[in-house]
Amino acid sequence: MAVHAQRPSSSPPLLELRDAKKRFGGVRALRGANLTISAPGVVHGLIGENGSGKSTLLGILSGQLSLNEGQLLIDGEPVSFRTPAGALERGIAMVSQETALAMHLTVAENIFLGHRAVKRASGIDWAATESRAAGVLERLALEIEPGRLAGELAPDQQQMVEIARALSMDARILILDEPTSSLTDDEVGSLFRAVRGVRAAGVSVVFVSHRLGEMFAIVDELTVLRDGLTAATGPISDFDVDGVIDAMVGSSGARRDLVARDGADRERAPALEVRGLRVAGAAATVDLDVADGEIVGIAGLVGAGRSELLEAIFGVRAIEAGDVRIRGASRGAPTPREAIAAGVGYLPPDRKVQGLVLRRSVRENITMAMTSSAGRLRSPRDPACDVAVATVMERMQIRASSPDVAVATLSGGNQQKVALGKWIAAGSRVLLLDEPTRGVDVNSKADIHELLRAAADDGVALLVSSSDNPELLELCDRILVMFRGSVVASVAAADASEAVLGRYAGGHL
Amino acid sequence: MSTNVVTEDGERGAERRAAASPLASAWARTRNFRPVLFLVIALFAFFSMTQGSFLNEANVKNLLTGIAILWVVSMGMTFVTIVGGFDLSVGAVAALSGIFVARLLGAGVPDGVAVVLAIVLGALIGGLFNGYMIGRLGLSFFVVTLATMTALTGVVNLWSGTHSEVVISPLISRIGVEETLGLPTAIWIMIVIFLVALFVQHRTYFGRDVYAVGGSLTAARLSGIPAVRTIVIVYATVGACAALGGVIAVGRVGAASAQVNVDLPLQAAAAVLLGGTALAGGLGGVGGTALGVLFIGILQNGLSIAGVQSFWQQVVTGLILMGAVLGDRISARGGVRRQLRTRRAQTVSHP
Repeated sequence: MAVHAQRPSSSPPLLELRDAKKRFGGVRALRGANLTISAPGVVHGLIGENGSGKSTLLGILSGQLSLNEGQLLIDGEPVSFRTPAGALERGIAMVSQETALAMHLTVAENIFLGHRAVKRASGIDWAATESRAAGVLERLALEIEPGRLAGELAPDQQQMVEIARALSMDARILILDEPTSSLTDDEVGSLFRAVRGVRAAGVSVVFVSHRLGEMFAIVDELTVLRDGLTAATGPISDFDVDGVIDAMVGSSGARRDLVARDGADRERAPALEVRGLRVAGAAATVDLDVADGEIVGIAGLVGAGRSELLEAIFGVRAIEAGDVRIRGASRGAPTPREAIAAGVGYLPPDRKVQGLVLRRSVRENITMAMTSSAGRLRSPRDPACDVAVATVMERMQIRASSPDVAVATLSGGNQQKVALGKWIAAGSRVLLLDEPTRGVDVNSKADIHELLRAAADDGVALLVSSSDNPELLELCDRILVMFRGSVVASVAAADASEAVLGRYAGGHL
Repeated sequence: MSTNVVTEDGERGAERRAAASPLASAWARTRNFRPVLFLVIALFAFFSMTQGSFLNEANVKNLLTGIAILWVVSMGMTFVTIVGGFDLSVGAVAALSGIFVARLLGAGVPDGVAVVLAIVLGALIGGLFNGYMIGRLGLSFFVVTLATMTALTGVVNLWSGTHSEVVISPLISRIGVEETLGLPTAIWIMIVIFLVALFVQHRTYFGRDVYAVGGSLTAARLSGIPAVRTIVIVYATVGACAALGGVIAVGRVGAASAQVNVDLPLQAAAAVLLGGTALAGGLGGVGGTALGVLFIGILQNGLSIAGVQSFWQQVVTGLILMGAVLGDRISARGGVRRQLRTRRAQTVSHP
């Protein structure tokens, strides 16, 4: 029962942000952005590239930042709050991108975190607290045991516990900041059910995502930010995919990522051969080949063993049986150092913890792999490194004021380019990529895809794991589908479709 | 470390900027330890003006030799802290090294050999025990070094029978109290250790590895950096530094004390944190640590010249420790804000 956006014009909108301006030092993050949530019980999508001012706008709505200029109105009344607690008092709650649950506490404790458990003279009444938590979860139609530890839940369920916590605080506006970025398709489905439940209860939701498909699936109205300004806004029925992309990137910079690669059927030498590989703890063995210049995708649900397979090939996960050959030669001891020496590079799924040392400079991160076999007492002031850094930064269009700034200061898309640039600099001939474009903006995603194609044209063999099936269809020559640890299908990308991949990934052969 | 890259970047024409002058880039590099730099200057100026005898040559030499042990240990501790750990056992290792030297000399071993063996012993304890347990087996540095400290304190007491042992050795008294080339030998040792540490930190891949491993162990490992080896070597280094500190201590009093200096690791912590090295790892350096040690030394020396009761020195030392931790927190917050600002600056200026 979606309550739709149009309401009699006499009643003021639920929330209105007018001409919002926010500066950080000399930088104008918001230059007069507007956002209007028309009524209670609507899902309002917010989309924009990294750096468009989205995070700043969310910070203002949630009370973490204050406006330099402009007005925030709730029910037509101007409000100002300077803390998240102040925002909450006004009924605005935010569920941020990273899970903020106490993993060692129960679901019920997490929901009523902050001294809100049911108390009696004899202390906290756990039974009553749990039954109240069960009530909140029921409102969301969630089947989660209030007595379970938060740490035992799947990521989507953890997110729903956060949503439940926000609702238990009587929020009228719930901000979900990229709630789907780490979820699988199934989990996205259950998140959407929860969002619809929230909407039905008369709570409005601000839904932030990079994925256009999700916007069209769930939101009632949409605001597109670009360069700190509202580029477009209105009911979702006013938009189509091209319209949203144009608004996001501006008409001049519009880019479509639809370059078809030919040569998928060329005869090529095998660069990576995996034979009878059984990852420790897995039931099945895997065989696969990737030829020079070929891009092979791995599709499958989270938990199908995609990440584990890549880790095992790179030597960071133990294997029980099988063989990995790089250009015909068996790889040495299963360690990253041996793999790198054999010309293999690995882009891990979590760039912030696994892919980069955020506190170190762009230069150091880019040269980290290429210099990993140099004598440790040698000087890092190597002209070859300067050349490599300059080349990678230019070729990958990494936007940083200098190679010496810390990677932490870069936007997500640029960070990912640095994480990938490390392997370009190292001259890897076999690249293992796990979620190469997770959480990056549309333009960076296109840049990365272009770069991967260029690498393949140079003869690099690529094995790409992604939970984004359209990405695989667009990028790869051939797609392997994994189900419960084994490869159940291998399809040419040209013959595949999302439906086909989805069927195989679900184990329907 | 960066100027040549900046210039080349400029030459590439992508982002043309005036090349930073060497002075400006040197100043920029002090950012992490600027507070302690000002504190040291202020404290030095204060005692110079208020205490007539503070600036005379004998007192300055006395001040510097007085912090020699802390200096040497803190240099090693800086690397351990950057790699994301800490070593509580340095006091016990230093005491053990003193007794070890005394026993070797008693057994007729030449003093030069005894000193080298003591330093090797310290490196072995640090590397093979602390480093291996922490780096290879992934145990908590707190538990491992606490265990080492406790066990070695017992060993020191058992071995020495809780008696100090007089040490007569020309080399060791030269290290502890005598002068070489017009300066107390201990000061030469401080200079050499500092320069070596600075060189390793800035001019070797090993130095880079320490920062990378401390910044993100996983990312470093996945980039092919020998992370375990880095951790083992770093703990071996602090062990060797502690053992050298123990030898200096023997030289200063002419005897191997049976007392373990339990304050040593904590004072080193104060110096390292005061110098802008983050307890969380990945940030900092020995330059700041040198200033941190100087600050503690100037304060203790100045207060004692001023005739302030020694208990006040303890109070102030405690407050410094608190100030150091607080400063670490505040600068960490400032760092985040700075990073956010820069990040927005970049993302917005490149639409």
